[in-house]
Amino acid sequence: MGQHDTYDAIIAGAGHNGLTTACYLAKAGLKVLIVEKNDWIGGASVSRSLHDGWTYSNCSYVCSLLRREIVRDLELPRFGLQVIPYEGGASFTPDGDYFAYYSDHDALRREMFRHSPADVDAYERFSQTVIRQCRFIRPFLLRNAPDPSSLRPRDLNELLFLLKKAHGLGAKELGETLRFWTMSIGDFLDEHFENDLIKAHIAGAGIIGTGLGVYSPGTAYVLLHHYMGDVDGAIGAWGFARGGMGAIANALGACFEEAGGTIVTGSGVDQFLVKDGKTVGVALENGDTYQAPIVASNMDVKRTFLNHTETKHLPEDFTRAVKRFKIRGSSGKLNIALDSLPEFPAAPKGSPFLRGDMHCSQSLNELERAYDDWKEGHWSKDPYFDMLIPSQIDPTLAPPGKHMMTVFVQYAPYDLEVNGVRSGENWNDETRKAFADCVFDKIEVAMPDIRKHVLHAEIRTPWDIEKEVGLTEGNIFQGELTFDQLLFNRPVPGYAQYRTPIDGMYLVGSSAHPGGGVMAAPGANAAREILRNIGKGDLMPKHAA
Amino acid sequence: MSVSATYDVVVIGGGHNGLTAAATLAKKGKSVCVIEKAEAFGGMAREVAHLLYNLHPKVARELGLGALNEGKPLSTISLAEDGNHVEISGDTVRFADGAAHPDAAAYAEMIRRLKKFAGVLGQLSTKTPPKLDGGLTSLATLGELAGLAKMGLDLKRLGKKDMNEFLRVILTNAYDLVLDEMPDGPLAGALCADAVRGNFVGPRSPGTVFNLMYRLGQGGDVRLPKGGMIAVARAFEDAARKAGVDLRAGQGVTRVLIENDTVNGVELEDGTVINTRAVLSSAAPKATMEMAGIEHFDVEAARRMRHMRCKGSVAKLTLTLKDAPSIKGLSWDQMKSRFLIAPSAAAVERSFNPVKYNELPTAPVIEAVIPTLSDVEVASDGRHILSANIQHVPHTPEGGWDDAKRRHVINTVVAQLETHMPGLAALVESPDLLTPADIEARTGAPGGHWHHAEMGVDQILTVRPVNGMAHYRFAIGGLYLCGAAAHPGGDVTGLPGRNSALQLLKDGVLS
Ligand SMILES: Cc1cc2nc3c(=O)[nH]c(=O)nc-3n(C[C@H](O)[C@H](O)[C@H](O)COP(=O)(O)OP(=O)(O)OC[C@H]3O[C@@H](n4cnc5c(N)ncnc54)[C@H](O)[C@@H]3O)c2cc1C
Ligand SMILES: Cc1cc2nc3c(=O)[nH]c(=O)nc-3n(C[C@H](O)[C@H](O)[C@H](O)COP(=O)(O)OP(=O)(O)OC[C@H]3O[C@@H](n4cnc5c(N)ncnc54)[C@H](O)[C@@H]3O)c2cc1C
Repeated sequence: MGQHDTYDAIIAGAGHNGLTTACYLAKAGLKVLIVEKNDWIGGASVSRSLHDGWTYSNCSYVCSLLRREIVRDLELPRFGLQVIPYEGGASFTPDGDYFAYYSDHDALRREMFRHSPADVDAYERFSQTVIRQCRFIRPFLLRNAPDPSSLRPRDLNELLFLLKKAHGLGAKELGETLRFWTMSIGDFLDEHFENDLIKAHIAGAGIIGTGLGVYSPGTAYVLLHHYMGDVDGAIGAWGFARGGMGAIANALGACFEEAGGTIVTGSGVDQFLVKDGKTVGVALENGDTYQAPIVASNMDVKRTFLNHTETKHLPEDFTRAVKRFKIRGSSGKLNIALDSLPEFPAAPKGSPFLRGDMHCSQSLNELERAYDDWKEGHWSKDPYFDMLIPSQIDPTLAPPGKHMMTVFVQYAPYDLEVNGVRSGENWNDETRKAFADCVFDKIEVAMPDIRKHVLHAEIRTPWDIEKEVGLTEGNIFQGELTFDQLLFNRPVPGYAQYRTPIDGMYLVGSSAHPGGGVMAAPGANAAREILRNIGKGDLMPKHAA
Repeated sequence: MSVSATYDVVVIGGGHNGLTAAATLAKKGKSVCVIEKAEAFGGMAREVAHLLYNLHPKVARELGLGALNEGKPLSTISLAEDGNHVEISGDTVRFADGAAHPDAAAYAEMIRRLKKFAGVLGQLSTKTPPKLDGGLTSLATLGELAGLAKMGLDLKRLGKKDMNEFLRVILTNAYDLVLDEMPDGPLAGALCADAVRGNFVGPRSPGTVFNLMYRLGQGGDVRLPKGGMIAVARAFEDAARKAGVDLRAGQGVTRVLIENDTVNGVELEDGTVINTRAVLSSAAPKATMEMAGIEHFDVEAARRMRHMRCKGSVAKLTLTLKDAPSIKGLSWDQMKSRFLIAPSAAAVERSFNPVKYNELPTAPVIEAVIPTLSDVEVASDGRHILSANIQHVPHTPEGGWDDAKRRHVINTVVAQLETHMPGLAALVESPDLLTPADIEARTGAPGGHWHHAEMGVDQILTVRPVNGMAHYRFAIGGLYLCGAAAHPGGDVTGLPGRNSALQLLKDGVLS
């Protein structure tokens, strides 16, 4: 019964990384199949219509990390991808004021001065440091992470590259780099700024998607992870994909199909098939099987190996390492259909920052307390959120005059605590609503009449995100971005180069270096490794690193 | 202004590191004077420390203090709410009643691995940290890195598997490391308590595995030398005196005198000037900067110093007791142990929450010992002393310290102890609480911090205490740091003092 076709390569999962790998392989002439469990493609880079007339970016909602080189290689604009930058953002205060983060330099200086004259110059120093660190890290994104325990020439070359880059920094800067990579975003901001509101506004980028607080060491790096992208070359800028984040997946999908690839949706991989230590194909939940000597998993490393691969094919050490891979979810989301644009009593009508990212967090301590709640298995009583109304810039998302709002919320636990028991099963309509209410209460700081405007709201918890996208524990990056899970440690020491213990099987999702976000770098890097392994390395476009 | 004397080297601060630095230099034939502000020598080792965990064998050997590292180490008992206390002695774990502990094997394996890693890191602790001047490819840097290369070699010798593990865990957090190997409970709690000890972190904070390794640097044994920590302080003092060091207590240095960007003396509180060619300071780095005159430092250095992290959060509570307390189920011998109240990793993390907001503790982690049970010399007229390190307590709570807040801390701790030592409250005669603010006032330790400067990954090795000043040399010719804020860090180790002295000699300032 079912399909038994043979392919050169099979990709399990049509997230944007799986699609990226698939595109490169198909363009290199391979016969490639993508199998996707959902009826749609995109994974966490998806647009869906859950309320008639509205399009939600259900998971990811803004774009910056997507590597320019990949967009160019795959000609994504030709397949409909258009990224529109947005301008600035704001943090609102309960006393009716706001701090506006203008993208215009002079306007921003004036606004900082209004809140805290001392912070104006501090901001210049802050930006210089961040930009310098971004310049340092960007070249690494499309390269393999060197394996320091290996003496293979390629690894030594990668190490040498790292050393050369580091050399370019000079002594003081190298020291600063070491510090920056290991310190907390809270300490980093405290070193620069005085004003609580300004610090809180910037700090969000240091905690988004992580199970750490603003004062946890390592969160300055997370900030970098959110600043190292660009829109049209403007480093650190963010934008909307026209049509929602699904537009990225759809462009990749179209590129793939034009290159001759096949996508099968609606049934997921049940088992990765292995024979004599070699990958031979996949068996789907619906009973279909497909053969290929190359199989790449776009699922996270835990799901791939603990749920869909027989343990007997894996070394014990490897399985143990996969089990202890940390993938705690910490974020929830509200996607909201609005009947019209809500009032912002604090802001002059038409202020540009209303089209950017909006927050209501007042201080670093408030953010840290939000984290304390999560550690105990609760959603934050006083949450952090990153809130945008993209329909102001992209009218395709809602009917005329109406709007779509996306609210990314931290912190929300995967295993919610109720009566002393921590379990994902504790997420039900009641707790979900209580969580959303808590968020709406705080949104009222910026938009007092928000509740009146809501026509429909999709409430997503880490538990829901796992169920739909397959992101284990709802971790948005397919694995936490802590030191022990970055570079040569990602996802598992000794397997940081997209390979797995099974011959012919690869990992191409965000569990692999350089990690999560709609970046496509893991997918592209993995494609390069696969092609190199089958002696077709020269078919991979070269990037000027 | 009177010039009272001339020395090759003046050491500011007669804590154990200042004394070690002085003794090391005097043994090499230098004329050395230690100036201590307080009436007695020993600094925090005398005033607040209660156990020896980390005295470096090289220091012990060179100063003739070997006896301090002898004798049977104390075992650790992690007190459990259900009375199933866990006893840890070296690599072995069992329940205090002798029953086997289900996680004993996991614990032994983890400690074995961590000690192996700590040994590799330990090689760095007796050296000046590698310098990055001139970038990574200049000759000078390569020379500095030669020391590291040796460490690299040892890393290779770890084998690929252990090396991968080393590179994975080195920057990670103790909470995950421990709970990956065992369920949460008093054993996990004990490991986490040791991983956060002295620092402003909870076990979930990345970098705490490094701290655990630091604690295991000399094998992790805990000792209570005969005569207590006062005797330890005196032993350092005697070693310095025997080496020919002039020791002056009772007034502090107020200024470091500088001419042509080079040190030429110090001035004391009463205006006395002492001439010298070099000054080693174990006082706080920022205070040292101020004594030398901030105008001698570039703006960047001053800014970095201002931001050095040093929020102390360990308080010291000394209880004088009418009689010896007891714990149900523990023998008299077991009562001599080091006790931990750290019922779980989660509880240790929770104990870190309030201090982040400058709030008073509700259930702090406690490390307690009753030295008078081990050592009759420190007991008098049947009374006993219970010494407790309490973590985390804010340096200064909102609105400042007052009697009510002090009493709150004391009562909280006594109540916690009382759950295990019934009747304790009634035995307490005089509780003596030293908050981090008190410790700062009494010893000059910045922020009252255990290590003088937080041992975060962003403040160790090449960036300790701050970027650009990690090599004991303190920007001005002849001026050096030699206290816990310098590499490798705090605890009673003697290493910063020793390393700094050796760096001074190597730099040829005195030749
Ligand atoms: C709520 C949320 C908000 C975010 N916001 C942003 C943002 O604004 N900007 C940004 O850059 N990043 C954001 N991210 C992160 C980013 O979206 C993800 O890191 C990224 O999309 C992951 O892509 P991926 O291709 O690696 O994996 P995924 O997108 O997880 O793709 C995996 C695919 O595999 C499929 N699958 C799972 N199991 C099976 C199976 N058994 N068989 C077949 N297929 C299977 C899934 O359905 C999915 O399509 C956000 C993530 C979330 C969850
Ligand atoms: C509550 C608490 C408990 C601790 N318990 C332990 C423990 O049990 N075991 C352990 O190993 N470690 C413990 N520590 C840490 C340990 O005590 C310190 O890390 C270590 O003693 C520091 O030694 P030091 O010589 O570098 O500095 P210090 O001991 O602080 O010495 C510095 C000296 O400089 C003097 N000084 C300062 N300014 C001047 C000046 N201007 N002029 C002259 N003199 C000056 C001070 O008076 C002081 O004597 C504890 C710390 C705390 C806070």
